Amino acid sequence: MSTTSSSLEPFFTLVSQSLQTIETNFYKIPGSAVIARYVRSSHRDDPGRTLLEVILIIFAIRTLLQSRTKAETSGKHFIKFSEQEIDDLVEEWVPEPLAQPLSPTDQADLDAVPVISGPTGPKPKLMNGKTVINLASYNFTALSGNAEIKERCVETLRKYGLGSCGPPGFYGTQDVHIQLEQDIADFLGTEGSIVYSQAFSTISSVIPAFCKRGDIIVADRGVNFAIQKGLQISRCTVRWYDHNDMGSLEKVLEAVEKERRKKKLPLTRRFIVTEGIFDHDGAMSDLPKLVELKLKYKYRLILDESVSFGSVGRTGRGLTELYNVPASQVDMLVGSLANGLTSCGGFCAGSHIVVKHQRINGTSFVFSAAMPAMLAVAASEGINILRSTPSILSTLQENVRAVRAILDKVDCISIPSHPASATIHITVRTATPSTPSLAPPTTPMSPHSPLSPRMQASAGAPPFDIDAEERALQEIVEEALAQGVLVTRARRLRGQELNQPRPSIRLAISAALPRRDCEKAASVLKAACVKVLARRR
Amino acid sequence: MPSRPSPMALQSSSPYPSIFKKKSTSTMPTAASYLSAVSEADARARAHGANGSTPGSTPALSLSSSVTSSSEDTVLDESGLEFNDGLSYPRTPPTSEQVFTTVHSEFGHCANEKYRYTSQHRAGTQYKSYPEQDPPYYILLTTYLSYLLVICLGHIRDFFGKRLRPSHYKHLVSQNGYAALNSDFDSFYTRRLKTRIDDCFSHPVTGVPGRTIVMLDRYSPDYNVTMVPTGTRTRGLNVSSYNYLGFAEAKGPCADAVESSVNRYGVSACGSRLEGGTLDLHQQAEALVARFVGQEDALISSMGFATNSTIIPALVSKGCLVISDELNHASIRFGVRLSGANVRMFKHNDMNALEELLREVVSQGQPKTHRPWKKILVIVEGLFSMEGTLANLPIIMDLKKKYKFYLFVDEAHSIGALGPHGRGVADYFGINPRHIDILMGTFTKSFGAAGGYISGNKVLVDRLRVHGHTGPYAEAMSPPVLTQVIASMASIMGISSGLEKDKLNALVLPAKSEEYPGLVPVSALPSWMPVAPTMADGSDGLMRLRRLAFNARYLNRGLRKLGFITYGCDDSPVIPLLLFNPGKMAVFSRMMRTRAVPIVVVVVAYPATPLVTSRVRFCLSAAHTKEDIDTVLIACDEIGDLLDLKQGQGERWPLKEIINRAVELVAMPETD
Ligand SMILES: Cc1ncc(COP(=O)(O)O)c(C=O)c1O
Repeated sequence: MSTTSSSLEPFFTLVSQSLQTIETNFYKIPGSAVIARYVRSSHRDDPGRTLLEVILIIFAIRTLLQSRTKAETSGKHFIKFSEQEIDDLVEEWVPEPLAQPLSPTDQADLDAVPVISGPTGPKPKLMNGKTVINLASYNFTALSGNAEIKERCVETLRKYGLGSCGPPGFYGTQDVHIQLEQDIADFLGTEGSIVYSQAFSTISSVIPAFCKRGDIIVADRGVNFAIQKGLQISRCTVRWYDHNDMGSLEKVLEAVEKERRKKKLPLTRRFIVTEGIFDHDGAMSDLPKLVELKLKYKYRLILDESVSFGSVGRTGRGLTELYNVPASQVDMLVGSLANGLTSCGGFCAGSHIVVKHQRINGTSFVFSAAMPAMLAVAASEGINILRSTPSILSTLQENVRAVRAILDKVDCISIPSHPASATIHITVRTATPSTPSLAPPTTPMSPHSPLSPRMQASAGAPPFDIDAEERALQEIVEEALAQGVLVTRARRLRGQELNQPRPSIRLAISAALPRRDCEKAASVLKAACVKVLARRR
Repeated sequence: MPSRPSPMALQSSSPYPSIFKKKSTSTMPTAASYLSAVSEADARARAHGANGSTPGSTPALSLSSSVTSSSEDTVLDESGLEFNDGLSYPRTPPTSEQVFTTVHSEFGHCANEKYRYTSQHRAGTQYKSYPEQDPPYYILLTTYLSYLLVICLGHIRDFFGKRLRPSHYKHLVSQNGYAALNSDFDSFYTRRLKTRIDDCFSHPVTGVPGRTIVMLDRYSPDYNVTMVPTGTRTRGLNVSSYNYLGFAEAKGPCADAVESSVNRYGVSACGSRLEGGTLDLHQQAEALVARFVGQEDALISSMGFATNSTIIPALVSKGCLVISDELNHASIRFGVRLSGANVRMFKHNDMNALEELLREVVSQGQPKTHRPWKKILVIVEGLFSMEGTLANLPIIMDLKKKYKFYLFVDEAHSIGALGPHGRGVADYFGINPRHIDILMGTFTKSFGAAGGYISGNKVLVDRLRVHGHTGPYAEAMSPPVLTQVIASMASIMGISSGLEKDKLNALVLPAKSEEYPGLVPVSALPSWMPVAPTMADGSDGLMRLRRLAFNARYLNRGLRKLGFITYGCDDSPVIPLLLFNPGKMAVFSRMMRTRAVPIVVVVVAYPATPLVTSRVRFCLSAAHTKEDIDTVLIACDEIGDLLDLKQGQGERWPLKEIINRAVELVAMPETD
């Protein structure tokens, strides 16, 4: 006993000495006396608290030191294996194949994809040599194949070559891009705009550029896939309101505000995210009401006009023109240059601040090459043509009316699309008249996406038989094709979409077709619907 | 060609009066004696083009138009200042035997066959990137100090700014019940650090991003908050664009092909691939890409970024693990995050770290449950665009055999730019591409087009066509872009008309390879596409590959011999030169831009790189001539002395010697 204590003697002196030096040095630090006094008095008042504080400090340091991706080696779930065991485990492990072959239905779907031989347009030729009336392609404004645009494009090619060979930050911004952004801003009446090189990747970058963890997004249940992906990436809190239901929206806004007051949460950024004309069913948003609500509750509005830009309004400016709402009321107006102007790419129009922010924070803007100069010029030229030729849009609307006049009378189908929408969705009419066009969600988006619990709670099977309806619609598509009309089912990633949209045939009406052809195509489609659906009953 | 003024030109509100300014026919400049030699050469080129380039049945339609339009367009472009800077015209006029069909400012004239090399890994050696050197401590110290300084200054300015000029901060704070879109805290780095050197970023340009590029000059009246165009233009040597094979051209066989495609197809496919946007051209291009990269099948998407961000979610899902190099591109991270798979990262290119991680994850299984992973996907880039390093494929392939993971190689920068056949890293290392599960790449770089591809076996690619986000939702690639892809790839591969004599004429590529089955049969190309003879025999593509390989190796080694610290592999056309101090970035970029022969460079810093390793990045091109590389070396040498950048270890050569012994320098074996 005494031998151990004597052998430890030097150790104890060392400890006490070093403690002393630490203490003297500690008191040399300015302000240390205050800390010491605080610790002493708090320890006297409440010894438990000292313990708690020490634990807290240790915990804080631990969290700081722990890197996020590397937590597992030390975690409590970590099992220690010998090298031999690891080798055996490696030996044993059999991964799943990288890709399963397609299911027969998927394969049939893929095989049924029409392939156009030569240029697309109102009456393209298919690979089998047949010329068809095209109600599938997005060519609302009849700009596809426009001779002036082609001429302009060739000029651009001879001046700029094709690719931009660099992201916008690194000498990829050419004067034609600046010009296009200016043209879009002028056309819509916003302070500025920013052009992305793919329409689909536009809004999924716009949303996360502004919305961060902790921010609140109130979104329509029926938003398109690109928006869903943007919401998922942004990791903010998402609240959903019923599809295109302004009453439901107001309720949600009210509830969020109440919750914030009750919990005294700090003010965070809040956004309403919805579409102008919905990609899923062609329904149209009530923009004036949206603007009213967003002003009332102090939200910012992110409006996806991918379908409506270039298809509604007197000159195709979209919903803002149709409702006569200044575009500056929409904080982030996102649109597609591919659908509306038959070029490529997408844009986000808004204030200078909104645009400038995206030039640094819009992921797919910053980390991707600028679009080819030729396509930028094609879009600019498209805007010019729309601006100077309002007859394009009136022709388009006439064609829409002509098609609707025929299809609206068909009993076996229903059309959830707005009468002015140039995309027309045809769904199978079921026995119960008021089937929603959107099923409640069947699967939560992903386990770690912070969706509102309410939304996950309402999961259930959709009230329609997706497979059967898709098969029937595909039959209609093929029947119509046999009669010389090209239409397409709206293709959806089943299982990945947040809410299962109702299967539909999506028509895209074009101003390039004479009215006669539209009527003829609609009649063919009507006959096909009747034929196929009657057989099924 | 433009018979009437462009409607865009009529729009008076535009700050850019017209981008299609009418070519004035009367501005024959006075440097006539010099020019006569050039125009003679041009005439020779025309003659050459006219009698030689009507192969078989293809119409010469686009060719004739290109000759008439481009000679006045690109030769008599801007002011007379440019005649002796070597940018628009070669310093030494071409001799009478030399026939150059390219425009010198787009694709430099270089007839010297000695300035060629083959990009290839030497069999039997181990791949290792050049050891990363640390700078002396005082450089590190001053780097940290300068960050500290600007951060302090920034906070001081914010402190006073908020009190003295609150209106400037209005958009950074909550107001009227709206939280700030971008709080002053979040935007501090951008506002107070990046803005200081904003003149080095997002510089607007015009014209072809080829060997040279034309910058639209601008100035800032308010310390880079706003930029005002001055209306003047400056042509500079372009070592920034991702134009590895020099296919960014407004003249030449590819541009001719694209022109006929615009005339035939217009510019849009009008819809997504599965909803009526599939053209015959898409199928032809996909088949050609598969052939090019040596895989069974390929699919094409209209944006390179989206190729990763929308297809990776179809490859992996919950219960799968993605192992990702820490320096992987943002698009890969985006895609992985959307997929819901678990992610682990390993230290950049550290194969030991990768193996250690693999042993851990395979043995541990999924977190908490310890269930075995469904699949493990390792994602690396072929050529890392900020580092110039290559994925260490030989070792990764060995690990793959042992640990049974799937391998995804993003070849955005390496496809076309590496390997004796230009088929990317697998080609460079001599690895059979079919042993790699997924090869992804983009067309924005080497091919001068846009978009990207994913290739693999047919089952996989068909699955991705249906289950990737691109197929049903994203717009299909535009026909002229597809044509550029087809034409540029075909000219690298060479074209066979099916006749035996044709095969004899074709240049034999170095080391005939089974993986890359040489010539494309002409039947695989669109029948309307004009085919130039240089494309058909593969000589054009081969020349590009070999020039790029020489240029890359020359500049890499030249810079090291000058004493600079650079990263990456000797054969990489991406060459980062380390600057360290953030302040030096701006100075370097400005000094390069304002030289007698302006050089356009890219500088990158945190957050794209680690905080201390700010760098300038050169991207070389086959379009550069040896003289261009000399120009860059001379400029770097001067500026490097001024900015104290030559901190590298190893043997140094004087500038003269480097320039004179360039061929020898390039041919030297790798040092160990
Ligand atoms: C590794 C990598 N992947 C993908 C991309 C995106 O390609 P794109 O510019 O064609 O969108 C890039 C471009 O910078 C890249 O470097």
